[in-house]
Amino acid sequence: MAAATTGCKKTFEENFNNPNQAEHVPPNLLINGILYNMYEAPFSGSERWNQYTAANYFYYANNNYDWTGASLDYTTLKNVVKMEEEASRLGGEVAKPYLALAKFFKAYFFVKMSLKVGDLPMTEALKGFANLTPKYDTQKDIFKQSLSWLDEANNSLATLIAAGNKELKGDIYLKNDLLAWQKVVNTFRLRTLIQLSSRVDDADLQVKQQFATILANPTKYPVMDSMADNLQFVYNESFNKYPNNKDNFGNDALRYNMAGTYLNTLSALKDPRAYMVAEPARGIAEVNAYALTDYRNFVGASSGEDQGVMLDKVQKGLYSLIGRYRYYSGYTAENTFIIAYPELCFIKAEGINRGWATGDAESWYKKGILASIAFYGIHDGSNTVTFLKKDGKLGEFETYAVNFSFETDYYAQTSVKYAGNTADGLKQILTQKYLAYFRNSGFEAYYQNRRTGVPEFQTGPGTGNSQRIPKRFQYPDIERTTNGDNLKQALTRQYNGTDDINQAPWIVK
Amino acid sequence: MKTCMVALLLLCLTPYFTWAQTKIAGLVKDDAQQPIPGVSVLVKGTKKATSTDLSGRFTIDVKTGETLVFSSIGFLQQEVEVSGNNLTVTLKTDSKNLNEVVVTALGIRKEKRNLGYAIQEVKGADLVKAREANPVNGLVGKVAGLTVGVSSELLGRSSLYLRGNNVNLVVVDGVPINSDTWNINPDDIDTYTVLKGPAAAALYGYQAYNGALLITTKKGKLNDKGFVVELNSSTQFNKGFIALPKSQDEYGPGEHSAYAFGDGKGGGLNDGDYDIWGPKFEGQLIPQYDSPVVNGVRQGTPWVARGKDNLKRFIQTGLLSANNIALSSATDKYNLRVSVSNNYQKGIIPNTQLNINNFNVSGTYNISPKLKAEAYINYSRQFSDNIPDVNYGPNSVIYNMTLWGGADWNIDDMKNYWQAGKEGIQSVYAEYQRYHNPYFMSYEWLRGHKKNDINGYASLNYNLVKGLDVMLKTQISTYDQLRTEKMPFSAHPYGREEGLGDYREDRRSMFENNTQLLLKYNKNVGDLFEISAFGGGNARNFSYNSSFTTTDYLNVPNVYNFSNSKNPVKAFNFNSKMLVLSAFYSVDISFKKYLNINTTGRIDKNSALPMGNNSAFYPSVSLSSVISDYVKMPAFISFAKVRASYANVKDPGLGTLEYIGATPLQTYPLGYGAEYTSSYGGPGYGLSSPYSVRPTFNNQTGAFYTDNLIDLNAVKAQSRTNYEGGIDLKFLKNRLGFEATYFRYIDGPKIIRQNISPATGYQTNTINGRKTQNSGVELSLSGTPVLTDKFGWDVLVNWSTYKQIYKELAPGETSVDQFFKTGDRIDNIYGSVLAKSPNGQVIHTSSGTPISLPVNQLLGHADPNWVWSISNKFRYQNFSFSFQLDGKVGGVMQDYVRLKSFQGGRQIETIQGKMGEARYQDYVHVNDPNYKGTWVGDGVVVTNGAKINFDPVTGVITNYNQLTFAPNTTPQLLQDYLGVFYGAKENTMMSRTYAKLREITFGYQLPKKLLANTFIRSANISVVGRNLLYFINSTYNDVDIDQYSGREGTSTLQTPTTRSVGFNLNVTF
Repeated sequence: MAAATTGCKKTFEENFNNPNQAEHVPPNLLINGILYNMYEAPFSGSERWNQYTAANYFYYANNNYDWTGASLDYTTLKNVVKMEEEASRLGGEVAKPYLALAKFFKAYFFVKMSLKVGDLPMTEALKGFANLTPKYDTQKDIFKQSLSWLDEANNSLATLIAAGNKELKGDIYLKNDLLAWQKVVNTFRLRTLIQLSSRVDDADLQVKQQFATILANPTKYPVMDSMADNLQFVYNESFNKYPNNKDNFGNDALRYNMAGTYLNTLSALKDPRAYMVAEPARGIAEVNAYALTDYRNFVGASSGEDQGVMLDKVQKGLYSLIGRYRYYSGYTAENTFIIAYPELCFIKAEGINRGWATGDAESWYKKGILASIAFYGIHDGSNTVTFLKKDGKLGEFETYAVNFSFETDYYAQTSVKYAGNTADGLKQILTQKYLAYFRNSGFEAYYQNRRTGVPEFQTGPGTGNSQRIPKRFQYPDIERTTNGDNLKQALTRQYNGTDDINQAPWIVK
Repeated sequence: MKTCMVALLLLCLTPYFTWAQTKIAGLVKDDAQQPIPGVSVLVKGTKKATSTDLSGRFTIDVKTGETLVFSSIGFLQQEVEVSGNNLTVTLKTDSKNLNEVVVTALGIRKEKRNLGYAIQEVKGADLVKAREANPVNGLVGKVAGLTVGVSSELLGRSSLYLRGNNVNLVVVDGVPINSDTWNINPDDIDTYTVLKGPAAAALYGYQAYNGALLITTKKGKLNDKGFVVELNSSTQFNKGFIALPKSQDEYGPGEHSAYAFGDGKGGGLNDGDYDIWGPKFEGQLIPQYDSPVVNGVRQGTPWVARGKDNLKRFIQTGLLSANNIALSSATDKYNLRVSVSNNYQKGIIPNTQLNINNFNVSGTYNISPKLKAEAYINYSRQFSDNIPDVNYGPNSVIYNMTLWGGADWNIDDMKNYWQAGKEGIQSVYAEYQRYHNPYFMSYEWLRGHKKNDINGYASLNYNLVKGLDVMLKTQISTYDQLRTEKMPFSAHPYGREEGLGDYREDRRSMFENNTQLLLKYNKNVGDLFEISAFGGGNARNFSYNSSFTTTDYLNVPNVYNFSNSKNPVKAFNFNSKMLVLSAFYSVDISFKKYLNINTTGRIDKNSALPMGNNSAFYPSVSLSSVISDYVKMPAFISFAKVRASYANVKDPGLGTLEYIGATPLQTYPLGYGAEYTSSYGGPGYGLSSPYSVRPTFNNQTGAFYTDNLIDLNAVKAQSRTNYEGGIDLKFLKNRLGFEATYFRYIDGPKIIRQNISPATGYQTNTINGRKTQNSGVELSLSGTPVLTDKFGWDVLVNWSTYKQIYKELAPGETSVDQFFKTGDRIDNIYGSVLAKSPNGQVIHTSSGTPISLPVNQLLGHADPNWVWSISNKFRYQNFSFSFQLDGKVGGVMQDYVRLKSFQGGRQIETIQGKMGEARYQDYVHVNDPNYKGTWVGDGVVVTNGAKINFDPVTGVITNYNQLTFAPNTTPQLLQDYLGVFYGAKENTMMSRTYAKLREITFGYQLPKKLLANTFIRSANISVVGRNLLYFINSTYNDVDIDQYSGREGTSTLQTPTTRSVGFNLNVTF
């Protein structure tokens, strides 16, 4: 009788358990999810806010900068914490690569979030029940801690590589290669240091010194050596299609066009990347009888233009559209960088230009340009460029041969030739870096504009916010309603108490 | 109660065959000349007795001169001396002692006069003439406080709301069923009883948290002939729309007045995924989908509105054909009823249909005078080869025709829908990116549905001693369902742009058993009071299993098999189990004529709640007193009663789900169409915190920890406390009745997922917190203004109102979501609004575009201010006529069709008045490089170059003092302006006030004389109509608001609601 009672009781209570989902998973499933969340798709709002492309069709999208609450990555960071827990449950050598990379992920996501809004909870964050109203850390402390995490991650990875640890699984980007990850960690650390260029003299952060140390010791701090080291998202035809592809061409054919900030810079520099990423504006070519490959046909719209006016001009062929051949003829267009080699080259060049480290800025500047140009398949000699035929359907392309010599045609131009470690030289580096960020690296192009003013963003009625480029996103609304006291402190500390998108955060003040 | 017992006793003692003396036949009618079934007929001074059948008839062997005694609950007893061999008796309603018996929780019958809470009953017979396929749709307007969101879609779930809350519990003959009620045939229903509040429902546990709908099925009844055959046949035709968007047919597809077909997917000029903002139909030559191609160049052909009225020509007359035949029989030993029905619906969209076959048997057998066995089983089979999916998107014929299809193509040209030489692979249409050929959709893209529903029970009742009965009852409710979707090659809804076809199977299987033991006790204690009590226990055992499997494109067209999947098949499944153990009691004490007290209690132990806190107690107390029984009232008041009740019920909240979708706990894998939801009532595992896994990169699996925090030791069932009071009055010898109820619910602390700082790593924390209050009034007025032998008029008016507010926020919460504060209505709707100058004019940018505020603003509330209905029944000799008008007043909702048709250019107002002129100018100047537009938005611009600053929290403009305004003078193309203007939600909000002429029935009862020499006992023929008139502000006549009874902020796409007209034949043999 007693046994029967217990049996019955057990069955009753077992019914509470969810038979459909797991209470524990191996850490490789978590790292898979975390890495997937790192990917920021092109053809998004941030691409338009980076002023690479512009939307002319209100129903689908706009170019407005009326920013509200930021989307933050705490839930992904929670999965990082869970990955640490699940790895630690397994323990030993198996756990170590996950624990090392967890430090990198924390640095990566805290930096990413803080760049959007400023101060954020960090030390008291991610504690679940233990702290439902976490206090805010200053943006400076977030950067300081992140740089230190990155240092620790580098050291841990070095130890694991030396020990021959092969336990990492679930890595969708770098084939579970710890050395490749070590390069990512240090490259990202350089990006983070460059972000602090306005705070270079901060004694606590030691920005210059850290930058110089990394450049000076490639054995201890390996960084990316080539495009093969890129942390990037690679598309496939069945499961992860490039956001622009032949499936959705009919939706977008005329509704998005190139933005002037980007394409007009390429045209002005007679940069053949223009041919690869954009269609010529046939209306301009026809009226002026320009050859189709004339750079004057490669014109983007001001992101500030009224959308209706922009659409009208697109219909009349006065603006360049997004390149059909590269972006719409298949499913895999191009890889999307998360952190990539061309950026690293420009970071080094910028650091050297600013005098943070010794070295040849021009050489890194050129390496960056060459890597980016090569990414678009452009090489010295005869290049084939492909445009959609006049009134052609997708797939009806025509090709043109374009001769190119990097040194004599392109680099020889005074606008491109490095002007030396001067303000002009810096502007050249930043301009080329902006060109290399086209459709990749998330929101880096905007942060560069905010930090350096390069490139100059265009504004008008179409960019909203009374024609201002905002300096930050607001905090999520939910912080105000659930963590109000701490938020209020942070706002008072940073923005005179109002969550104003037009006030600059500490990092660029 | 006493009378009832006597009647029952008499019934049991009535011998079925009596030896011949003089056989007389008779008919018993009520004041309203309606036959009364179940009247006991006793030969005075003997034990000879019988009772009347369904049509009020009886026969009995009796000698002339003997006296017959007629008695029935609710009527004055009457004695009649037998003279001839034919007798018609009219019983007078018992005005002093109104013994209307109603079904209450657990199927227990009680006298309505003793109840302390609100309950309202509807006769099944009222719903089978001007009928609806789903029985609950017929309840619209019949009960004060009950609203029905009547879905006009085949198999669409109709939402039933009591006092603004969704009713989840339907109970058939005392046992809960798990159903959307499509499996219940209206012809089998004797009465519907609506238990309006928790007091009435406290005995059912959490499923009746929002009240319950009780259905009592028909039973076989004592009858002289031995059996009765009843046949009911209804045929209704659906035609003529009551709500249909008015579309313009002057301009075709395109953008900014430009269009040319290339390949229909971006290869021409605005030829893919287009708006209807293209060129005017003026016969000019434009390359079109069917224009000839000469030397590779598509030629222009005349641009004319050849597709005017495409929708009207495409849609066919719908049909509802319902046929039921029921045989019933009874003796003192047993009663039996067998019923078979077929319900066939032909949809108004071609090639859509639904068949429902129902078969049920119910019977009672008196094994001995003390032991009675009873059983009922209902089997329902639903099947259809194609159910339309009207949900917004390319899967919907309405989306394709009403919103995004122009008049440039002719529907008749779409009937041969395969391209020559590409049969089975590529369909013909005017566009190939986003939209579809309607005939292709109807005949090739098929959504099948097959479902078996079984519900039934068996029970044994044993009379232990006088006044004490024990009953054991076991009941099942189970369904097995298969839904399939065959998507042909070249169909390309959202997410399936490759157009390579797909096949899907959605299988669901639910089983639920309730087993109940009940003890009933009745006792009179002296003359002072009477006790009636019952108590018992119930075990509810629930299990569910489902799977959803889909191909990822097909290799070979038209082979709908998983082995034909191009990429790996995707499969999902879900299993659940639940056990609820309950004990309950109910005690009624009547202090004779002064006071009735009813108290109930129930304890549920529910496995869907966390272990430490899985029990909940539900108490209720109700009081009633019939004042007119002991206080002398003025003559015009014939009855007066006051009542009051208190109840507290609990609910497992997130622990269970009312409905369930195709892939529970996982993201629904389809990006288009409606996800079908089934009735469920089982565990949702919302209180567990596990990992979810899903494919991320290249079909590899990633894991993600839950974003919901939960402390299992802290969460317990949520509570609702209800206070209710009311008064029931009858006047003028019961010719006029009035019932009023006031209720107030305090809900909470609820189980909520409270949004928390995302910095915790989680989005929500599951806690008990937050209280809401729902209060309202329900009034019901019934009367018989005219009552003579030949002519009668009955009228019923229902009126109700309720309002739900936040009463108390959870600890640490300053608002719910972004907006709601203590005291705010919970049905408030927030949405985008345009920025306005201090005197209310819309502010524009320097390019003439309206500016929106960055934060949503309050746009009104969703719930109606009040709901009303009036129904009338007239009778003149053998003719009867009835009609019902009902509607709602107040509340708002966004008119989605209006939004989309303005943005998409199909809206008729875009070609009328000033807009029409601007649109025409835009078209005329399509090639003018200097043309900037004609439409100048009404409003202002900021002239002094100052920046507009908005409050980051409230979104309102903070620096009006720095801004100077001047009228906006910058023209825009109409398309661009309307896109932004109507994009602000405030500009497409509509009032939810409407009225409907819901139903009309005109009937004729064949005279007895005519049928005297036939085997037909009675025959009734009716002409019926439903949804005949719809009254609404004509601007919004593109939405049938009737389908929305919840708190929808926005309407959806609907198959246009039609009028239905038909006839009904009811014959009894």
